Parts: sequence; C-alpha cells; structure tokens
Amino acid sequence: MNLSLVDPFVLAQDYPDTLTEKLRSGHATCLRFNHTGDYLASGRVDGTVVIFDIETNGVARKLQGHTRQIQSLSWSRDGRYLLTSSQDWKCILWDLKDGSRVRTVRFEAPVYIAELHPFNHLLFVASLFEDQPVLVDISSPKPIKRILPSAPLRPQPTNGEEVDPAVAAKQAAQDAKHSTCVTIFTAFGNHIIGGTSKGWINIIETETCTTIHSMRLCNGVVILARLANNGRDLLVNSSDRVIRTVLMPDLSQLGIDFEPSAIKLQVEHKFQDVVNRLSWNHVTFSSTGEFVTATTFMNPDIYVWERSHGSLVKILEGPREELGVVEWHPSRPMVVACGLESGCIYTWSIISPQKWSALAPDFGEVEENVEYVEREDEFDVHPAEQVHQRRLDLEDEEPDVITLDRAEDTIDAEQSGVFSVPVLLDISDSESGEDIIAVGPGTMRRRTPGDGDAEKDTKSGANGVARGAGRNRRR
Amino acid sequence: MDSPRPRTRRRESRDQPAADSSSDELAAGPEVDESELRRSSWTKQKSFTPQRSKHQERQYRESESSDELAVDADEYWRGSRGRRSPSPIDRHADSSSNDRSHGGSDEDRISNDDETLAPVRDDMSDRSSTPVPSVEAPSKPERLNYKEKFVLRGHLRGVSAVQFSPDCSMIASGGADAAVKVWDTLTGRLIYTFEGHLAGISTLAWSPDGQWIASGSDDKTIRFWNVNTVSQLRSLALLSVSLLTVLSQGRAHTKTFEGHHNYVYQIAFAPKGNILVSGSYDEAVFVWDVRRARVMRSLPAHSDPVAGIDVVHDGTLIVSCALDGLVRVWDTHSGQCLRTLVHEDNPPATCVKFSPNGKYILAWTLDGCVRMWNYVESRVIKTFQGHVNKKYSLSGCFGYYGSPDAKHNPPLAFAVSGSEDGAILCWDIVSKNILQRIEGHTDVVIGVHTGKLNGKRMLVSCGLDKTVRVWEETPEDQGQNGSGASPVEVVTETIVQNGIATNNDDDGDNEMTDAPPDPSTETTPALAEDVTMT
Repeated sequence: MNLSLVDPFVLAQDYPDTLTEKLRSGHATCLRFNHTGDYLASGRVDGTVVIFDIETNGVARKLQGHTRQIQSLSWSRDGRYLLTSSQDWKCILWDLKDGSRVRTVRFEAPVYIAELHPFNHLLFVASLFEDQPVLVDISSPKPIKRILPSAPLRPQPTNGEEVDPAVAAKQAAQDAKHSTCVTIFTAFGNHIIGGTSKGWINIIETETCTTIHSMRLCNGVVILARLANNGRDLLVNSSDRVIRTVLMPDLSQLGIDFEPSAIKLQVEHKFQDVVNRLSWNHVTFSSTGEFVTATTFMNPDIYVWERSHGSLVKILEGPREELGVVEWHPSRPMVVACGLESGCIYTWSIISPQKWSALAPDFGEVEENVEYVEREDEFDVHPAEQVHQRRLDLEDEEPDVITLDRAEDTIDAEQSGVFSVPVLLDISDSESGEDIIAVGPGTMRRRTPGDGDAEKDTKSGANGVARGAGRNRRR
Repeated sequence: MDSPRPRTRRRESRDQPAADSSSDELAAGPEVDESELRRSSWTKQKSFTPQRSKHQERQYRESESSDELAVDADEYWRGSRGRRSPSPIDRHADSSSNDRSHGGSDEDRISNDDETLAPVRDDMSDRSSTPVPSVEAPSKPERLNYKEKFVLRGHLRGVSAVQFSPDCSMIASGGADAAVKVWDTLTGRLIYTFEGHLAGISTLAWSPDGQWIASGSDDKTIRFWNVNTVSQLRSLALLSVSLLTVLSQGRAHTKTFEGHHNYVYQIAFAPKGNILVSGSYDEAVFVWDVRRARVMRSLPAHSDPVAGIDVVHDGTLIVSCALDGLVRVWDTHSGQCLRTLVHEDNPPATCVKFSPNGKYILAWTLDGCVRMWNYVESRVIKTFQGHVNKKYSLSGCFGYYGSPDAKHNPPLAFAVSGSEDGAILCWDIVSKNILQRIEGHTDVVIGVHTGKLNGKRMLVSCGLDKTVRVWEETPEDQGQNGSGASPVEVVTETIVQNGIATNNDDDGDNEMTDAPPDPSTETTPALAEDVTMT
C-alpha cells in the first residue's frame, strides 16, 4: 500500500548501499529468508536455529534440537516448515506453528546441504560429507532414503561395440572419485541439480534418481549452486575462484518436445577478481536475478555484479570482519550477511531521506526558484458558508473503499495461504541486545551468546569472551 | 478518569490556520473581528439572517472556542440544512450522474439548489456539478435496519472502547473503570473481566490471531490480556466442569508495555500481530515490537496529543492524527512521514481509520465532521455530517451493507460513527446520506465497531451510559412485526481480583454450547447469580 507514496527514485534503486542493522543472537553461521521475506532463519554454531522477524528485527522463534553447527536451512513454500541440516549428522524438519519437530533424519555422515522439494515439504535432498547424496522421503515417520548418483553420465556404448574392460575399469575408478558436494531442486522439483567435487554438474531426474545430463563446468570443486527465483538461472561457486551463471533449459518441457540429449547448459557470465584472485565464500542472486552477490575470502567486502553486462556495480562495506553466508531479501533491495568471527548478522539496505514536503502539506520541494503566479481568484473573499457548501457539493466521486487493487489481490491470494509465525510474547530477549557490554571503566566484554544458553554451552561462551577480549586489546 | 476526557483546545495562541488560503489572507485584524466581518458580509449577501437555534448559540458561547472556523462550518451546515436543504435524493442524483457505469437516462432531475448556487460556483471553480440524467443502479437500499440485540451492562463507568474479536465471536470493551470486559457475541454474556490497569482505559485492540487483547490506559501503560477463544471454551465445557474452572481463566501477560510519558490514547495492531502502534497524550507515536515488549521506533509525530492511530491492511502504512489537526501517514518499515493531511479549518483530529482496501482514510474532527481523505492526492473526497462531535474522541469504522448477491459498483459500504447526542449514525460512502440513525444509548456514544457473525452483520457500540450495546442487521420487513423488538438486558456482576479474571460461567452450563437462543428466551438471572472466586 505504501508504494503510491514512496519516492519513485528510492523505488528505482534496486541494490542496497548502506549498512543499516546488526542482528545478533549467538554466533550465526548460515542464513535463509523465507519466500515472502518476512522471516530470516539463522543457524548458529551451537546448533540452535533462530527465526528473526524482519519487520521488528526481533527473535520470533528459537528451535533447539541440533548439537553442532548448523550447515544449511531450507524453508517450505508456505513458510511453515523449516529443514535444518547440521554437522551432528542430522536433518530436522520443524513445524514453526508450535516449534515442534516433524521429522528427524539421521545420516552416516555430516550433512553439507539439505534442501526441501519446492512443493512437497516431506521430500528433500541432502548432500553428505564424503558420501553419496540422498533423496529422502519423510512422508512416513521412517524416512526412505534413495541414493543419488554422483558419477557423470557417460555416452552409452553403441550396440555391438565391446567395451574395453581396461577403459571401463578406468572409468569406474574415475567415477568413484566423484563425490557430490551440493544438490538442489529445480524450480518445479522434477529434477535435481548436483555439483561434484570434480567440477561437474549433473541433472538427475527426481522420480527415477537417474542422471539425464552431465556437463563439466570447471576444474575445481563445486562449492555452491543456487537457482534464481525464476528457476532459469543457475549460479555456481567453485573452488577455481570463478562464479559462473548458467542458463538453464526449461526442464519442464522434457518429454514433450524436448529430449534429455538436447539439454545444453550454457555459461552466461564468469565473475572473478582477476587482479587479486579473490576466492568467494558464498554467493547469491538478487530477488529478481538481476544481480549477483558474493562474499570474499579473507576480506570484509561484499561484491555486487549486475548480470546484463556482467559488471561490478557495488562493493558493500561496513564490518571489519570476513563475512560468510550472504543472502538477498526476496523482494526488497536488502542484503544480509553473517560475520565469520563474531557471528553477527549484518544488514545492508537503502536509507531514503525524509522528504520535508511530506511533513508540511503546503510546502513543496523545488529544484530551482519558481516565480509564483497568483491565480485570478486567489484572494477573492468568499463567505465561508459558501466555501464550505461548495466543498461539500464537489464531493461527487464514487469512491470504492472495499475492493482491493487487482495486483494486490493476487498478492493477497498468495499470502492467504502463507503461514505466519505465531507471535510469542515470552521469547527471551537476552541475546538480542548489544553484544558488547561494559564491565568496568575502559574495559568491554563481549556478551556471551545467550545467558540462557551459556550454561549449556559454556565452551562457546568462553570462546566468545576470549575473542572479544582479544579484539579489544587490538583496538 | 473519565476516559474520553474533555480536551482542552491548545490552539488559543495560534493564529489563523496557515492552510486557509482561500478567503482570509487579506482580512486583517484580530480573529474575532475578522469572523464577525465575514459573518456580516455573508448575511448581507444572503440578505437574510441565518436560522440559528438558541441552543446552538448557547453551546457556542459556552465552549468559548477560539476555533472560529470550526464553529462557523458547523453553523453554516446547520443553517443551510434548515434553509435550502440539499436533499439527499438530489445529492444522490448528483453523485450518481458522474458514475460511468450508469449510462443513458430515464429521468431528468435538476435540483433547484444547484441553480441558486450556480453563479457563485462558476467563479469559484471550474468543476461543474450540473446534474446529468442518470439511471438508477441495481436497487440500492436506502435504509439500514439495525435492531438492538443486547444491552451489556457491567462496566461501572463510561465505556470508551469496544471491538469485535477477529472472528467476531467475542466483544472486548474497556472503560473508565479500568476494566477490560470480554463478552460472548452470541449470548451476550460476560466471559472475562480483566483488571490491573491503574487508571481508565481509552483504547483496546485485539491481536489478529484473537489470542490477546491489548489495552491502553491513562496509567501510561499498555497491557496484554490472554483470551481463550470461545470455541476452546465450548469444547472444554463438554469435557469437565472443574477443568473449565481452571483453564478458562484469562491471564494477564506478565509484561506491560511501558514507555509513554502520558496517557495512551489509541493503539492498533499490524496485521501480523508482531507490531503494535500506539499514540499517546505525550505527542509521540510508538511502534512496539510485541514480542519483546519494547519500543522499536518512535515517530516524531505531532506537536499535540496523538488521538488516533491505525495500520493499513497490509501493514505497510501507519496513519496518526493529533489534536493539532494534522493527519500523518507513515511508512511502517522506514518510519518516515510520507504524507500530511490537513484540512483548511485545522480542527483537532481525534480518530483515524483506513478504509478496508487501504485507499482512503476516515478522520474524525471536533468540528462535527467525519472526512474521508484520498491520501495519495491529499484531498477530502467526502464529508459526513449530522452527528454531534465537539468534545469527545468519537470513533467508528467502515461497514458493508446490501445483499451479498447484488453486485454494485462500487460495492456498498457505509461509515459509522457515534455521536454526542447518544445516536449512532451510518452514512452511505458514496451519497453521504444517513442510512440509519440508531437511537438507544442515553449518553454520548464513544465507540462503534462493525462485524459479521454467522452471516449476520452486527454493530457494537459503547458509551458514557456505561453500556455496551450489540445491534444486529435485520431485514426491513421483519423489523415491523417486532420480533426482535425488545433487547435483552444482560446485567452481570463478577468479583474480580487484581490482574486475574474470574469467569462467571464456570458452572459449565450448556448454554454456551447452545445455538444462539431467541433473545427473548435468554434469561438474565441465571447468569448473574453464579459468581465464583478462583
């Protein structure tokens, strides 16, 4: 509703420029917005998951169940369920309505990344540390795990041609070296995109768990793959210090007039810092897919490139520490990133200046002097009664006070199905305050991550204090 | 305190309102002289003396208001009504003439009033409101027919705020006796009494999930009260009587929202319930984080007590109004002022409400007008008059009427407000006609709220006569035979401990699970006798 009143120049700016907020609740290591952008989930070192309300910057819910660092977060489409994966070899699906655990799935290895199916919150893919990725069906309390292939698809030997056993053995040995580091669903969830340690991208059919297409993207390890909101752009970060955007074919057309053999992945842009040879911690698309953002290794900067020309448009600065996970708000020009050292969550957005003419209705803001031209009847004296009556008689419109605008209608229809996290009035706010507290003249101490959690996890609390003290000495 | 306390007008020192650019710029001299001058010029031009009732005159003298313009407007309105009555039908014809949806003509209506004013109009505006032939729209009800259903007695002093719960199953009311009472809409019985405020309550609001009631008081705090929804109570009533006794107690939230330096005047929830906005006599608008019970943002709003607050349906805008006469629209996210609306006469604004679609703002002012603003274009598009509003912060809201089957363009809606003469007025949004003048209260009606339960449209009102009244829309034909003619008096007494509510319905009788009984069969004594302390 506020769009009609906001300065269009502010609305036109589509990437953030200023560090605005600092959220803190423990030591956050990973972040994810829900699909509407109302809530930000953050996973902490101590295994707690904290849901922040973006409108209030306050904690909406805390989820406790993991015992080690959270590795990834994934929201269901309606925002009610959240899948978390952790280094404690578990994935938990949470129901945010009451904060309960819907399912807990144990694996044989730490989990890198787990992602929910875009339409079915009881199905997810997980890529495991030094193990085969799995597709997990949790519709029943006992999870059904199906192993996904990591090896790239090799051209089928033509009929009648003998496969050389030596070649076959060599290929098998090569295939065994592949391990999948990242798996994500495509926009409709019919396919899974896997990135391997050898720099290959595999497209796997969800239903059959077979690879239908493979492509060698780079030489390094595929660290992270993200899909843009439109589902047609793939963003890949790899250990060769290059971020690639890849144009995806429309996989929903497969089987209609599009054969798997015709799939072609095309690299659109390569973003890299050729001078400093920076490597990238984490990458993300902007809400529209128009921009690509990355945090840099050993560097406190966030790079923002725009995609149409592939040029660098902005380097976001502010904190003095290296930043890890970076996320872009799904609708607003707002970027959040968490600091690796402090675990703070930093927020960049646009600060629009107050328009003074909005405060005084009879003032206007002009660029240059305007000569005032008096209206013919401006100073005519009319009896106030006539003025009043005339005013009343002019009120001949037929306003519609009920019907929502069509555009808003559709948004509302979408949102009516969207879940809203219940407002809890008894969330402890011990951690959301300042993280540095004064303990004496000239001495500051970092607040331990959560007074309530301090007992449970004294080790991390002690670390926090020690690190904080170290920083203070440096200053 | 007397919740809607008479407000001192703090405008004595002020000069002519700056916004009044039309006619007064050149007129020099003190305000009184000027207005005398204006009045005499007007009477000369009109060549007759305005018919002003003595009562009217007396009130004006009594109030000693420096707000000449406001009073003028009021008098002009009354005078003109008696004299040349722009009759509702004429105005209706005027307004419908510009409706694009009605083409063609079947009757020409030319109002004489328009002719008499025509010369004046021509030199003052380029907009012509000459009536154009019009076709009647699909028949639009000319009247509303709300009948009194319940009179809820229980408050010890005037009731200043009343609101339906989001599902309309309950009614919350708060008043000068510092108590919040929750009533069952279907039966009219008292469910809870919450006490804990140290001074009278000016405002209350239901959280969007219906779990909490927030109340703002003259003790400078906002308190939260937990409500078990009636449906939960009903299911519990079937389970166990003793369990019900334990569980049906509402309880106060442990946190009070402290921060205002003076009386809390009005509060409103954002649609998600995570943000509460409050306006206070200390001239500030606070945006609260409900979860942390902490001020998230303070809007440097006004230079006079903030009397009205509302949040738009999608939560992106806040509107506030103050006794300085300004209505300000704020961006919730950035906390910036996006628009300021001020009427030329600058009368103190006491209440604001967004329309259901958020495109318009209804503002109550102490010159006896309710104005509907198009805030994007900063202009008044409708002025509703006919009620009395000189002293109290009356409030009201929007409502729907007409049968749901009939499609109207625009959809039929009305604005409703209380009045200081004890009536409730419903105006049609488009024609500004008074659709119904609901009589019943014996003193000032402070608050009105609309709702819909089981397909029936309801109104609830509260006033200085210590009652909360529930009104139900009845079809026109039924109204005559007097089926629901006699309203039910629901008198209830409860013993209340501080901060803890006692439920007077813990005998677990089945009446709550019953279908809404015929009002005449509903008996009061059974309710009143069960008083339990827990």
